[in-house]
Amino acid sequence: MSLTTEQMTTLFTNLVRADHWGKTMYRRMMQGKLIGFYHPADGAIAPGVAAGTFLNQDDPMWPHHRGHGITHMLSKGIDIKYYLAEHTGKGTGCCGGNSGWHFSFPEDHVHLQTGFIGANFMACTGYAWAAKQNGRGQVVMNCSGDGSYGEGRSHEGMLMASIWKLPQIFMCENNGYSIFSPIEEMHPTEDIATVAQGLDIPAVVVDGQDVFAVAEVVLAAIDRARNGKGPSFIEAKCLRFKEHDIGNRDLRGWEPRQQEEYDEMYKRDPLVLATERVLNDGVLTQPEIDAIHVVAAQEVEDAEKFADDSPVARPSIEEMEAMVFAP
Amino acid sequence: MRELTYIQAIREAIQLEMRTDDKVFMVGQDIRGGVYPHTKGLIDEFGPDRIVDTPIAETGMFGTAFGAALEGYRPIVDYMFGSCAFVNFNESSVMTGQQYFMHGAKSSLPMVMTCAVGLGKRIGNDHAMFIHSTFCRQPGIKVAMASTPYDAKGMFASAIRDNNPVMIPWHTGVMQKRGHVPEEQYYIPLGVADVKREGTDVTVLANSEQLYNVLDLAEELAKEGINIEVIDPRSFVPFDLDTVLKSIEKTNRLIIVDEDWESCGMASTISARVVEHGFDFLDAPIRRICLPNIPIPGGYMEDYTRPTKERIEATIREILQ
Repeated sequence: MSLTTEQMTTLFTNLVRADHWGKTMYRRMMQGKLIGFYHPADGAIAPGVAAGTFLNQDDPMWPHHRGHGITHMLSKGIDIKYYLAEHTGKGTGCCGGNSGWHFSFPEDHVHLQTGFIGANFMACTGYAWAAKQNGRGQVVMNCSGDGSYGEGRSHEGMLMASIWKLPQIFMCENNGYSIFSPIEEMHPTEDIATVAQGLDIPAVVVDGQDVFAVAEVVLAAIDRARNGKGPSFIEAKCLRFKEHDIGNRDLRGWEPRQQEEYDEMYKRDPLVLATERVLNDGVLTQPEIDAIHVVAAQEVEDAEKFADDSPVARPSIEEMEAMVFAP
Repeated sequence: MRELTYIQAIREAIQLEMRTDDKVFMVGQDIRGGVYPHTKGLIDEFGPDRIVDTPIAETGMFGTAFGAALEGYRPIVDYMFGSCAFVNFNESSVMTGQQYFMHGAKSSLPMVMTCAVGLGKRIGNDHAMFIHSTFCRQPGIKVAMASTPYDAKGMFASAIRDNNPVMIPWHTGVMQKRGHVPEEQYYIPLGVADVKREGTDVTVLANSEQLYNVLDLAEELAKEGINIEVIDPRSFVPFDLDTVLKSIEKTNRLIIVDEDWESCGMASTISARVVEHGFDFLDAPIRRICLPNIPIPGGYMEDYTRPTKERIEATIREILQ
């Protein structure tokens, strides 16, 4: 499925926005302006952009925890300033300040975040079951890392998607590391996609640094799911430029990653590759690209101002207790 | 008056709620065939899209309910046995309980979890263990257990209508108890205890099969002039402390019978709350009759562990001295 100029422009714009957001989150964490922790997605923003950009508002999505789902959510059309406010500990946040780092955009069918790797397979089974029952052609986008496929939950999720022919897309963002451990030590085959194939789910492996390549296979998978043909599995091989979470060591096993590894990685920065492509293909001119960056920078700046100017939520214990159960 | 067994009453509650609201569905393992009879035959009326069998995969099974609930459905997830809810404890308790609060108290998670629990069948820890105390410790989940057929129908109906996750196990020891159950839909609110027998000398809290033991004892001891007030808490979260305090204001003595383990169990929590809020009413220390802190043995050894009528009677006589 080849992409139109308009589709490429949208993908490129979202990639630029994701890049600005990622760098901003890293800076704010280092400045002490974010609460708790942040797991940077630097170097691996292309799969999330491709996964989110072509979804409808009522397509449920589970964003990857890396980058705290920002890339995926902004591509789906969600205003990230409410997530930033949450992660800044403010009452205007998407969870009212109750969580600090969870997201919740139920009107966009992005329901939750959790600290438990593999929970995506659990919840997305239900989203996809509901989508099939609804019969409106909804698609469920289930994004997670290679590490999540170590969880037994991944088997259950793929098993049930396959036997029930659920409209679910498994987006495996394989960056080669689960925290410190290299994938070669934690998975027996070169491609995780073989696991999906074993459960009769069509699977493709794609260059996860190339947003347009990922988008092409995503569009095919969306088309398949919307037309009742069942689940698909996409393994996007991508890179992790930074440490697992900011402030942690960046190891391979128990030794620091080698400088050569970083040097090689940086040559394949997804934004650099995408910029070359849109210029070479004549999709965008340099002034147009510059303008996209200006708008993205402004989006982030406005969101930071919103988050920083918002008040910290200070509910009483009684007010918090009143939020434990729904009326 | 029409009578049903307890397990038939659960089935009728599910059936009527499914007729009323097409967003209600049930997911479990071999519920179509009906491993336990509360789902037997529902497949004929509602079909496999609403009586949903999954592979033996508790996490995926639970996920079908959890995700669908967030997408606007009202699922009932059937764990067969209570301990199976521990296979995916993270999801069934931690994530479920925190979902509403942690995500800004804006989108509810209306789902029911049910399962069989209970000693008496000599089937060992794995199949008999109680789970209500464990689930009571997870904020955000309502926990209830009905003891009578009438309560079972009304409480299951309320659980299905509730906008929160509700864990409502049922005790295998009461599944064949018969009692009056009206044919129409009715609702017993969660969080309301029921005084099953009025008395003046001592208050005994008991639930499920132990409730029947205590009611038998109350009948027997009444002949000696000992008047026992018997309360079924029915719900553990929310817990109806007022009914208990009102009772001990009259009886000044409290015994709590709970077949869950003694340590960190519901009996401990109730005991602590009564001491905090009703100490002045008490003329004697609160007594708890619980399961000793050992894994529930299978076989005949099970009989030696559980609270018995003899243990309860001895405790009543001690507290009245």
